[in-house]
Amino acid sequence: MKTVRLALEAMATRFELVLHGDDAVRLRAAGEEALAEIRRLEAQLSFYDPSSQISRINARAADGPVRVAPRLFRLLQTAQQLHAATDGAFDLTVAPLMRCWGFTRGTGHLPDPEALAEARSKTGMHLVLLDEEAFTVAFARPGVLLDLGAIGKGYAVEEAAQILVEAGVERAFLHGGTSTIHALGTPLDEACWNVAIPHPDADPAAPNDDDVLVVVPLKDEALSVSAVWGKAFEADGKTYGHVLDPRSGHPVDGAVLTAVAGPSATTCDALSTALLVLGCDAGELMTSLDDSIRAMTVCSKDAEDGFEVMQTGIEVYDPGF
Amino acid sequence: MKRKDNDPSTLSRRNFLKRSTMASVFGLSGAVEIIPESISKQAEARPRPQATVNCAIIGFGARGRELASTLARLPEANLMAVCDNYDVMLRRSKRDVPQASTHSDYQEVLSNPDVQAVLIATPTHLHRDIALAALEAGKNVYCEAPMASTIEDARTMALAARDAENQIFQVGQVYRSNPQHRSVFQFIRSGAIGKPAMGRGQWHAKQSWRRTSPNRDRERSLNWRLDHTVSTGLIGEVGLHQLDVSFWVLGELPKAVNGFGQIRAWDDGRQVPDTIQAIIEFPSGLHMMYDATLASSFDDAYEIYFGSDSTIIFRDRGKAWMFKEVDAPLLGWEVYARKDKFYKESGIALLANATQLDAQNMDPTEDDPNVESPLWYALKEFMDNHAFGPYPPAANYERGYQAAVFAIKANEAITQNTRVEIDEALYSLD
Repeated sequence: MKTVRLALEAMATRFELVLHGDDAVRLRAAGEEALAEIRRLEAQLSFYDPSSQISRINARAADGPVRVAPRLFRLLQTAQQLHAATDGAFDLTVAPLMRCWGFTRGTGHLPDPEALAEARSKTGMHLVLLDEEAFTVAFARPGVLLDLGAIGKGYAVEEAAQILVEAGVERAFLHGGTSTIHALGTPLDEACWNVAIPHPDADPAAPNDDDVLVVVPLKDEALSVSAVWGKAFEADGKTYGHVLDPRSGHPVDGAVLTAVAGPSATTCDALSTALLVLGCDAGELMTSLDDSIRAMTVCSKDAEDGFEVMQTGIEVYDPGF
Repeated sequence: MKRKDNDPSTLSRRNFLKRSTMASVFGLSGAVEIIPESISKQAEARPRPQATVNCAIIGFGARGRELASTLARLPEANLMAVCDNYDVMLRRSKRDVPQASTHSDYQEVLSNPDVQAVLIATPTHLHRDIALAALEAGKNVYCEAPMASTIEDARTMALAARDAENQIFQVGQVYRSNPQHRSVFQFIRSGAIGKPAMGRGQWHAKQSWRRTSPNRDRERSLNWRLDHTVSTGLIGEVGLHQLDVSFWVLGELPKAVNGFGQIRAWDDGRQVPDTIQAIIEFPSGLHMMYDATLASSFDDAYEIYFGSDSTIIFRDRGKAWMFKEVDAPLLGWEVYARKDKFYKESGIALLANATQLDAQNMDPTEDDPNVESPLWYALKEFMDNHAFGPYPPAANYERGYQAAVFAIKANEAITQNTRVEIDEALYSLD
């Protein structure tokens, strides 16, 4: 049995792929095709590349309907369905809010109230009009921007995994930035791929065995992990993170870490973001999820109580936690 | 089935008038295609055609899918059928273009009278039969480059395309249709680089070029690029697109190629080199060096034209920069142009339509946000030709044939590690 490892820098992160099988040459060929698909999707979905389809839509959809490739159209339809299913917590139109809070090009700042109101008026999936007959996208008003950052990586991982299946690969593990994963089959001599998610307090610079919060077993399944870590700033003694609630226009407060496992990396990616936005109110969504989906939300409480964990199907690894 | 006279894409009076004016633009005589700005503006000012063009793609591998996704963004294109003889590709077609019917036999597509245009993206050595049948069926044809894997096939196709004078035959040498390339082309031909010294191009990637399938027979056919009996190698499948620009920019076709080929990274039984170098000699005495490898991705792909006054580089899908010699004459506009750093050099960004952007109150020093991919412009030209033509496309059968001749002879030089001369007469279809 051979093992082949491949990597790709795309979507501002590193994708890694491990394949097991009998023939290293064929495994590599399949892996290359899968990673080429991710690169192709990056060129299509990038918010920053002016020649991407998303940039085309952002530049033109306020002036009238923009025709897009059917696959991208269906992805946007899926995003709208997920938006509805998460009560608006998952939303691809938060870019004006991100700019307003200064997270697009900096570490953030408190926004001017008028500017925030203006940005909120440009936010919401209801402003994205999809015409199924013509495969077109239009914006209901100028200033709306689509940013597929909360779903693009999951979609790319899912499409790449599909290519591996079509190429006959039976055992593989693919992740984008360690946060979005698809596990194909099982590793050698194991019943499943086991993915450990570290405790929110863990120091990534000095890992140890006590850091593991949960271990998620995966077999022909995807996993997405979202966390509030990243750009943040302090003002008036309060910390503001870069994850924004599209409904309130403010940074989220509550959840620090979420994980969603299920058959579709696209759905997992979107739901893990939605759970992060919903925070302590995520319980209702978690109980309404399809049986094929497992989820966990870790919310911060006060300094003494530490964290509260809500889970459905994902078991906490350390019962003492 | 030959096209009827009342077919909207035949040579009507309207089309004839348009054709006669466009012919001078696109160089029926084989002269270089300078597109005056005033004419390209006229073209843009024309009302957009309302009629859609019913298209079919034959060959739904990576390139076929790219064609489909680009056609999807052209309102005048209606992709109604996809053909591939591998069921996995047809399943992908159902996902990518659900509205298109799927077929495993291209004759089914060609016998459909509603199909007006056929885009051929099969393996190179399979182009010929499909292209000939498509022309015979009265279809307009867009054929990926290289046109063919043998000179005989390429010649047969080119002659058939020449005979089908009321049908469009466009070859996928996409940079010929790219406004950015056209803009820089004018620049170089007007003498901005001074006396041309030499050219250099490269394409570097780290990939095996191998494909796989659960079905071993299918896997063999998928790996046609690694089959030395039919593949035109890196110089044909990749380099041709870059080097075709040099033929256009320099205004001459190579007279000889010194080739070198090695297997450096993927010693998996293949005979097609994974690393190549070529020194291409032009009749004027100018040389162009080209190398390509599947072993290293360092510095990606580009083409450079060195001159006594300045050097111009094309990279990143048609972007271009100019590096001036310190003693070069002042051109004037470069004082205001955007400069980008390339290690210790400062490159002046060459942007197509800079004056138009300025007129639209857009910053002419920024990249044009409306710029499309070279493939989009090529397919746009193909679609426009249905409405306003038929006229000879920028990448017509003759340019396709000449590029194929070069690719096949250069690949011969590379696989034999030798110098191959190309008789000027070989480039002629007469």
